[in-house]
Amino acid sequence: MASAPSGGRSHEDELVEVELDDGLDDAGEDEAGRQASEDVELHLGEAGRNWERPPAPALDERIDGLVFQQLDVDYYVGPPDKQLYHTDLLEVPILRIFGVTEAGNSVCLFVHGFEPYFYIESPPGWGPDECDVLCNELNARLAEQNKSSRQTRWCLKAMIETKQSIWHYQAQGKKAFIRLTFATPLLVAKARGILQTGMSIASIGFSGSFMTYESDVLFALRYMIDRNIVGCNWLELPPGSFRCTSTSLKVSHCQIEVHANYERVVSHPAEGEWVKLSRFRILSVDIECAGRKGHFPEADKDPVIQIASMVTVQGDSTPAVKNVMTLKSCAAIVGAEVMSFDSEAEMLKRWRDLIVESDPDIIIGYNTSNFDLPYLIDRAATLKVVEFPYWGRLRRNCLKMKDASFSSKAHGTHEFKEITVEGRIQFDVMWAIIRDHKLSSYSLNAVSAHFLGEQKEDVHHSIISDLQNGNEETRRRLAVYCLKDAYLPQRLVDKLMFMVNYMEMARVTGVPMSFLLARGQSIKVYSQILRKARQRSMVVPNLPKIGATPDGVGYEGATVLDAKAGFYRWPIATLDFASLYPSIMMAHNICYSTLVPSPEAKQMAAEEIVRSPSGDCFVRPSKCKGLLPEILEELLGARKRAKTDLKAATDPFMKAVLDGRQLALKISANSVYGFTGATVGKLPCLEISASVTSFGREMIMHTREMVQRRFCKANGYNADCTVIYGDTDSVMVDFHEPDCAKAMELGRAAAAEVSATFTKPIKLEFEKVYFPYLLVSKKRYAGLLWTNPDKHDKMDTKGIETVRRDNCLLVRNVISTCLDKILIDKDVNGAKAFVCSTISDLLMNRMDLSLLVITKGLTQDEDKYKSKNAHAELAKKMRKRDPATAPNVGDRVPYVIIKAPKDAKAHEKAEDPIFVLEHGIPIDSQHYLEHHLKLPLTRLFEPLMKNSNELLSGDHTRSISLGKASQAAGGIMKFAKVQMSCLACKSPLGPHHTSLCPNCQSKEAEIYQRMLGNVNELETQFGGLWSQCQRCQGSLHQDVLCTSRDCPIFYRRKKVQKDLTEAHSLLSRFQDW
Amino acid sequence: MPAAVGGLESAQPLRGVTELTIPPDGTAAPGPETRLAAEYISHDDQWQLQEKDHTNQYAHIYFARLQRMRPRLVKRCRQDWPQLKVVSILAVPEGAEVVVIGTVYKDMKLKPSILDEYVKDRAVGQLLGHTRFTSPEDTIILEDESARMPLTGDALTPGSFVTGVVMAVRGTAVPGAEGFHVQSCCFAVLDPPKAMPKPGDDKYVAFVSGLGVGDEGGDPLRLALIVDYLTAQLGSAAEQSSIASKVVRLIIAGGLMHSTDSLSQATTHVKPRQQAAALAPLRETDMCLTELAGAMHIDVMAGAADPSNHSLPQQPLHRCLFPGASAYPTFHRVTNPHEFTIDGVHMLGTSGQNVDDVAKYSSHEDGLQLLGACLEWAHLAPTGPDTLTVYPFKNSDPFVLNQAPHVMFVGNQAKFQTSLFGSGRGGPPTRLVCIPNLKSSGMLILLNLRTLDVHPIQFESQMEL
Repeated sequence: MASAPSGGRSHEDELVEVELDDGLDDAGEDEAGRQASEDVELHLGEAGRNWERPPAPALDERIDGLVFQQLDVDYYVGPPDKQLYHTDLLEVPILRIFGVTEAGNSVCLFVHGFEPYFYIESPPGWGPDECDVLCNELNARLAEQNKSSRQTRWCLKAMIETKQSIWHYQAQGKKAFIRLTFATPLLVAKARGILQTGMSIASIGFSGSFMTYESDVLFALRYMIDRNIVGCNWLELPPGSFRCTSTSLKVSHCQIEVHANYERVVSHPAEGEWVKLSRFRILSVDIECAGRKGHFPEADKDPVIQIASMVTVQGDSTPAVKNVMTLKSCAAIVGAEVMSFDSEAEMLKRWRDLIVESDPDIIIGYNTSNFDLPYLIDRAATLKVVEFPYWGRLRRNCLKMKDASFSSKAHGTHEFKEITVEGRIQFDVMWAIIRDHKLSSYSLNAVSAHFLGEQKEDVHHSIISDLQNGNEETRRRLAVYCLKDAYLPQRLVDKLMFMVNYMEMARVTGVPMSFLLARGQSIKVYSQILRKARQRSMVVPNLPKIGATPDGVGYEGATVLDAKAGFYRWPIATLDFASLYPSIMMAHNICYSTLVPSPEAKQMAAEEIVRSPSGDCFVRPSKCKGLLPEILEELLGARKRAKTDLKAATDPFMKAVLDGRQLALKISANSVYGFTGATVGKLPCLEISASVTSFGREMIMHTREMVQRRFCKANGYNADCTVIYGDTDSVMVDFHEPDCAKAMELGRAAAAEVSATFTKPIKLEFEKVYFPYLLVSKKRYAGLLWTNPDKHDKMDTKGIETVRRDNCLLVRNVISTCLDKILIDKDVNGAKAFVCSTISDLLMNRMDLSLLVITKGLTQDEDKYKSKNAHAELAKKMRKRDPATAPNVGDRVPYVIIKAPKDAKAHEKAEDPIFVLEHGIPIDSQHYLEHHLKLPLTRLFEPLMKNSNELLSGDHTRSISLGKASQAAGGIMKFAKVQMSCLACKSPLGPHHTSLCPNCQSKEAEIYQRMLGNVNELETQFGGLWSQCQRCQGSLHQDVLCTSRDCPIFYRRKKVQKDLTEAHSLLSRFQDW
Repeated sequence: MPAAVGGLESAQPLRGVTELTIPPDGTAAPGPETRLAAEYISHDDQWQLQEKDHTNQYAHIYFARLQRMRPRLVKRCRQDWPQLKVVSILAVPEGAEVVVIGTVYKDMKLKPSILDEYVKDRAVGQLLGHTRFTSPEDTIILEDESARMPLTGDALTPGSFVTGVVMAVRGTAVPGAEGFHVQSCCFAVLDPPKAMPKPGDDKYVAFVSGLGVGDEGGDPLRLALIVDYLTAQLGSAAEQSSIASKVVRLIIAGGLMHSTDSLSQATTHVKPRQQAAALAPLRETDMCLTELAGAMHIDVMAGAADPSNHSLPQQPLHRCLFPGASAYPTFHRVTNPHEFTIDGVHMLGTSGQNVDDVAKYSSHEDGLQLLGACLEWAHLAPTGPDTLTVYPFKNSDPFVLNQAPHVMFVGNQAKFQTSLFGSGRGGPPTRLVCIPNLKSSGMLILLNLRTLDVHPIQFESQMEL
């Protein structure tokens, strides 16, 4: 046991804090800037309606217990609380747990006495004496590195424990490990560095380096793991186990502030009555800024003019607070609280008051992490509102903001501002949706149209300044809009059940909820492995980072059987492996702790090990059960239970929780395999992932062979079945059976027979038939899905309906209509006819422009693009025309391809759709045909017809409308003179005729009627479109301002205005008297 | 001519006519009859669009409507509820009873929207077969220039209102509860009709609608009979002299032709023969109108399916469609709505779109109720522009009614109906007339300018060959 010098000055009068250390590798933690600024005492303005939480009951710590749902855990370093942690150290880590009681009171619990530690493998023959030497040596080395610190000791203890590494099968069983305990979490990283690089200790004749174990576990997570606390579960402090802070001494804004020793906190697993959620508060924010013309708002120049806030209490259906703060006066809004300010600084301060008083636990918004919150902080800094950034839960802690980035394979790298708001979880709804849903656009408008089924009014930022500079009515208009934008994220959260689902995910994987959004998948699996390892006295090595492997180095992925492309008009049975990879890992006991390196495998008896098709060996479960299989068994077992409970549940809230849980369990089970294969991850082990996929491949092959051998004429079946396609975990079998019910029977029989040949729990299941089934190629198919023979469930497509953002709507519409016709109506000719008529419409220039719009994001300043991109060039062009409405960096640029001279480059043919509409510029229909429609159509129709090119050539492509050459299109038309021509035969008109030439005069009534038909169609559209916009914006008496380019009717609405004016002017050429 | 057509014997002209029935002994008046004349003033200027500008938005109409109606509502509220304050929605206090004036917006789940075509799963089937779009969940929202508030309370049945009606509501904003609890509501006061002109001779204005020329299911003979009747080629000399010669004007309230869709589709290439066939109803109509115009003044209004523009106000049918009739100065192509004074009797009417649209979005069933509602609301077409397509007027709303006419008529209705509508504020009552479809009813309506009595004349023909 290491002894430490005792005594030392008390520093209770000073609070020294460290920001939450949550970098995965804590190396290079800088100590500068962690001194809290001088005491800022907030003076709060008068609270608005419903701002405050329900009053907290007075706690008598001897009689009362305290039960609350914890939502976030972090720590800081400060002087120890000597009552709760007996130590001579000057600085110790103190955990903070933020939570909410069932009644809705906020709680801040300070946990004392938990010490950071990690393990190293003990060199052979070491005893307590050597440990003490090591401890002293580390102490000395750390003291060297921390000269400025007043700390008394650094490495506190080095103790021998019997543990086992999870890395590779350990035939010899448990070994001696040394557990090193440190004064503060920061020292863990430093000590790890020392131990990994190696050291020599002369006194005991040791020289070498150490492999460290669990040295990269975050301190807060370490505590949670050791005390069996999972994300968002309920904690209890029995009476007498804690100490309350009196109001005047409180350091946090929480209503209840208590201190306890770490051993006294009781954690309730999220089961039974403890699945409930507390009445936590969610704040949804949206801000509006007045940007200068032609610039996206910048915090150092452009003012914040409105801030809308909605506070919703979990469990309530309507927000408790609906507040909007405006710069300059604003007319009242029914149902909302309007606060107007003359100075921006006052407004910012008041908004801070709102947060402090309403005390939200979770802050949500749409793209708040990248825009709204950083903007507010930067703006306050620009205006030197020093009191502003104090809306975290801790009174004296200023918010901190730094650049961060998050990268993942699935979503690429995205940069954001990481803001530390202690005790309040930030939940950016946009990112949650991007992670969980694949959509063609993630604008708030597109997302709410998709999930809530309604269009959202969108006010262009160039108009915002005009509204702000108008009168109190125009500002009110803006405020209503701002409030709506603050409410939508909340509605999305409700609709998608984000809170319930994310809390369940936190509970299942054991990490705090804030990890789920800010971090990748791996921390979730890692947390579970650590927990499991701890139960079994195992330790997880901290492997040196191998870094990203160059392309091509890796392992063979899943297999895909060749697709026998075609259109199957009869049922195709689909056999699926349920949870394929998890069940392979369970069946073959695949784990870090069961992997036998090949030299050792040779020495083991064959029956003791399983050799995977990729050549790696794992011991059988009888010898040693793997950790991962056990984790997976628990996850899948829990999922089964959740699903059973879900069926039995009647309460809609319980149902939501259970459904969220089973989903979280499923996702977690599936992410285990990915964790082992992530080469840049925490604990990559390619032997595992390669073995898993190789088993998968083998099983697919085996299934194909067995089904085809078994279900054939020779065995008394009507036909020889064929496997027409197989993907990662499914096999499509064609039994040549026209009857749906019979095909299902055969499918079930096949699944049962094949399953019997696999090791448990691998199971081949029959779930559905596709009927009819259009198999285009590998990973591209579509079919109607049937799970019972009476009625099809839905249409299932893969790889066909392109949701790619840069595709125009036309392609999506054509393909999905074709699929409807082919699969549901079984009308292939109808689909062909539809394609022909669409192509004809396109060539005849009758296409709705919004279908042709392509959008691309302007990711950098248009001058910075190296190659000439269509959208960047267009942005430049638009800036020349009108800098106010030109797209800025970050905007999506919509464009259409217009007709241009023959040798025009592709990027010269892009044009702003609005400009095209206003000037009647002809569309390059050929381009759309060749570059957008051709490939998807030929692909889709290949299995259906001999020559799918027929669709793209033929009668319907012969009439082409050339469109009126417009002067705006430039070229020679600039010099052309316009002369009126006969409306019927186009011959030039003489001076006395306005509509028709003398030859066509006899057909006047007929031609008039045709023109009139056009007018009528447009008038109907005009009425429908503009009254819809009036409804959508929620006001009859105010002009529609919306410029939402994501709205399907935005361009139509504009076009109809122009077309109608034109059509009327043509009609008026028929003179009446 | 038509009088000799076979099967006429079985025709039953003039059934149900009382004062018009001439005793069969028929003391025939000798010599040719001269048709009586009447003084006619058109008030259609307000509906004639000089230039068509579609860059305006619809908010102007609502804004103008509220502006025009508010002073009248304020006046009425001062009379009806003198003790209550009239406030704007934003100024509604909690707990105190006040009056608020605003435009109704009815939130309807079933209301079709142009956005539906983009949302696949909101199945078209759900809306197909619906002739009305009301549902029990409909709610009423009141809106003024600045804000909206939901209206609650049993005093208010959402079914009896439509979007666009301007009204004053009296009630309380209950603290803590959402919305405004309504006690009662009222609408703008309509000036009563002017006193009826001094009674003179019996003169008749004839009304007809829904001729449906070119409809294969229709009966061309009925129309022929009516034409003959009006041109005094049918019936006894007594009938001719006592009735036909006293019909001073014929109003055709829309629905001339069955449909001209096949012609007006701009997108299809129509072959010459189809073209000719499609034009046939137009020619036939022209012949029929020519014959009528030769005998009397006729006002032709366009209806929903007629070759005029679609949105209200519909402009006069174009000259070139009726080359024959247009040659007569007695042929008047007029707007829909159509407003005029004849011999001092003020008449206003439409071809039916306004009333039919209100019917789809309210629980009012029959035409008379709907006409009455329009008068009560002091608005001719409240659902425009929300669900009824109207021209986007700039800063005006010509559909606001200031004064009740003597006669208010609506064409193309399912059945003939008439009643008197009294505002209870002095002045003579307004005669409401629903003119049925000729095609289905075979009815011509005669209105006596002296008494405002209405006489339907039913023509039936059964051709049994």
